[in-house]
Amino acid sequence: MRAPKPAAERTDFGRGARLAVTALALRQIRRGALIVTAVAAGMSAVAVAAHRSTVKDPADAAALEALAGNPAIRTLFGEPVALDDAGGFAVWRTGTALAVVLGVWALLAATRITRGEEDAGRWDVLLAGRVPVTTMVARHIVVLVSVSLLAGAGAFAGLVAAGATAGGAAVHSAGLALCGVFFAAAGAMTAQVFATRSSASGAAVAVLGVSMLLKMVGDGVAALGWLRWLSPFGLTALARPYDGNRLWPLVILVVVCLALSAGAAAAAGRRDIRGGYLRYPSGRGPRMRLLGSVQAFAVRRLVRPLAAWSAGVGAYYLLIGVLAVSMTDFLADNPRFADLAAQAGFAGLGTVQGYAATLFALLAVPAGAFVAVRLATLAADESGGRLTLLFAQPLTRARLLIGEIAAALGGVILITTVAGLATWTGTKAVGADLDLPDALSGAWNVLPIALLCLGAGVLALGWAPRAVTTLGSLPAAGGFLLKVIADTSGWPVWVGQLSPFAHLAAVPDVPVNWPAAFLMTLVATLAAAAGVVGYRRRDLRT
Amino acid sequence: MVSPAFRTESLTKRYGRVLALDGLDLSVPAGEVFGFLGPNGAGKSTTIRLLLGLARPTAGRASIFGTDAADVAVTHRRLAYVPADVALWPQLTGAEILELLARTGPGTDRSYRDDLVERFDLDLSKPGRTYSTGNRQKVALVAAFATRAPLLVLDEPTSGLDPLMELEFRRAVREARDNGQSVFLSSHQLAEVEAVCDKVAILRAGRLVDVAAVTDLRRLHRTEVTVCFTGTPPDLAHVPGVQAVEMTGATSLRFTLTGPPGPALQELAAADVVSLAVRESSLEEIFLGYYGGTQR
Repeated sequence: MRAPKPAAERTDFGRGARLAVTALALRQIRRGALIVTAVAAGMSAVAVAAHRSTVKDPADAAALEALAGNPAIRTLFGEPVALDDAGGFAVWRTGTALAVVLGVWALLAATRITRGEEDAGRWDVLLAGRVPVTTMVARHIVVLVSVSLLAGAGAFAGLVAAGATAGGAAVHSAGLALCGVFFAAAGAMTAQVFATRSSASGAAVAVLGVSMLLKMVGDGVAALGWLRWLSPFGLTALARPYDGNRLWPLVILVVVCLALSAGAAAAAGRRDIRGGYLRYPSGRGPRMRLLGSVQAFAVRRLVRPLAAWSAGVGAYYLLIGVLAVSMTDFLADNPRFADLAAQAGFAGLGTVQGYAATLFALLAVPAGAFVAVRLATLAADESGGRLTLLFAQPLTRARLLIGEIAAALGGVILITTVAGLATWTGTKAVGADLDLPDALSGAWNVLPIALLCLGAGVLALGWAPRAVTTLGSLPAAGGFLLKVIADTSGWPVWVGQLSPFAHLAAVPDVPVNWPAAFLMTLVATLAAAAGVVGYRRRDLRT
Repeated sequence: MVSPAFRTESLTKRYGRVLALDGLDLSVPAGEVFGFLGPNGAGKSTTIRLLLGLARPTAGRASIFGTDAADVAVTHRRLAYVPADVALWPQLTGAEILELLARTGPGTDRSYRDDLVERFDLDLSKPGRTYSTGNRQKVALVAAFATRAPLLVLDEPTSGLDPLMELEFRRAVREARDNGQSVFLSSHQLAEVEAVCDKVAILRAGRLVDVAAVTDLRRLHRTEVTVCFTGTPPDLAHVPGVQAVEMTGATSLRFTLTGPPGPALQELAAADVVSLAVRESSLEEIFLGYYGGTQR
């Protein structure tokens, strides 16, 4: 028999255990971490370069400065400050978008690697070891915080490398990183409150939505400017990079982030493992609706996420509608700026139709992401064994998959319809000139891109089921980024043409590009058919 | 002759460089309870996945009641399955899961299902995520037995059940057999296999080692004999079928006997025997005999 190890060695072992937990957390998010860092650096650098091609003389800078007075532009794109500076311009163009991307990634990663792992039972065996749950949560937060700081450093490097001055870049990057930290901590906190990953993610996304709303209202309405002090996005904007570089808002944000992180770790210690602060009822009566067939069951699983996506998209497009008049009037009064906006990727903003068409093009991103997420959920249900009992029923895999495709398709049609209706409602409220058929056709115009996402997702499900999310969201998210970068960085024309967005007509400003829509639908159908073939042939991951 | 419940011909499955199943030829007659034994990694679950059409064979074929296993819309009308690791939809209650499986399945005897729910003491109002391993298995077992399908494929269905529920499970298997159903039971619970199975197939490292009736298996295998003598025990080492002779005292010895006992009995008759005890091996001992000392 061996003698017990000396005390010193055991202490080392405890340190080793904590390092192992850190390594585990890092391993689970490393790929996403690299992507968000690269996006932060790349978009920042591209925006600085775009400033040179967009703003050619001081008069242009003055026209851009006139933006600061327009509430619609302030609401949608944030308060423009220091647009005469390349760095300031880059912050205005990319700051909010990057903060949202980093925030969404951080909160989803946080709930995935904490509550998701715990809920799947993989923490049980870890927590039976030496590492207590508070340390476990704290270590995971530390890793997420490090990645947020890395993404901030990426943005700083991108700005400075492209020629922006370092002082403002530092303030902006710090604000960006802190937004990531805040939402990582928020995700870790909701992961303590809710016992399932989906509820925790949903609650954290709601926090992000409210934060964004507070900033938008604070930016747009001068009297409510103080609302920005309540939002991490608002605090970041209040730091005014390249225009005073105020540190106070960032200090407040640091304190809030520290409190939230410490609170999440402490909260973990006062609950049951696999439980949350919100308890679910241990039993309920049966609800037998939509259990009659696999197709009906696909609809049943869709209802809740669809309601959440529709609410989010609907709220955003209602705001777009409400702002229509203010925005178009401003651009009609400032034709020089309309030109600039066109060069900066927002063409045709001068009319309500053009404005609506520009913003409807953005709808392709959430619509495509929605179908990609639906198919990724199906892949997860397969590898999680939840589909095994259904696969043992007398029905073919193709039937099950087609039921799922039909549900996702119905869902995305509903989401785009909600977006069209919400925009129309908003424009009606302010008396803007947008007919309902125009609003709906503009929203439905993005459906071919959503179909491409569906086709790519099904193809991935059939042949490379681990890559469903990546491939499924590629046509929408990847295509959008490609178009924006190709437009502003002077890449060869054909590179930009690879993006489906290059072939999307500005409906309702101009008629639908039917050949392109038809071609996209055809490609999507072929990809989906190839995916169904692969899905029928391959081994199931059960 | 009745057609088999299922038959595999040179069924082979390769995962990359790993040969999980190597030319399995197995025929399970209809109406029998058929045990499927083998150590972990022997290929039992792979066989079941191929039978169910969840995975595609690299070579060979499997058919269920004469229909190719890949044609699941037909074959699954005549079978029900309980996976080794039951995962339920976390937000659906037990009652909702049973309803979903009943309405998408090959048909369900609802009164028998209610009876089984009662017997397995299953609380159907709880959502799937709150069920323990045993309770998840119970949900799948109730759903499978309630179909009264001609073939029940059960992959380690009782690993999470308590002894009382284990008895209920054996009762349900016997009811299925009395009903003319076939049961294919992959299990590590050898007592359970011994109690309910007519025949067993033993798999090792992806190959079929033996198929035999449980009673034959025991008879064909080693019987342990303990004998006490008045004087010095005779030398039995050279007797055919006698192995592992062990002196347990000055006048007693123990040995194992394989095959016909005649020669050993003749030898013993010549000696002065005080007492003789004969014990048949348990299935566990037979099982360990197959695998003992060797990997897989």
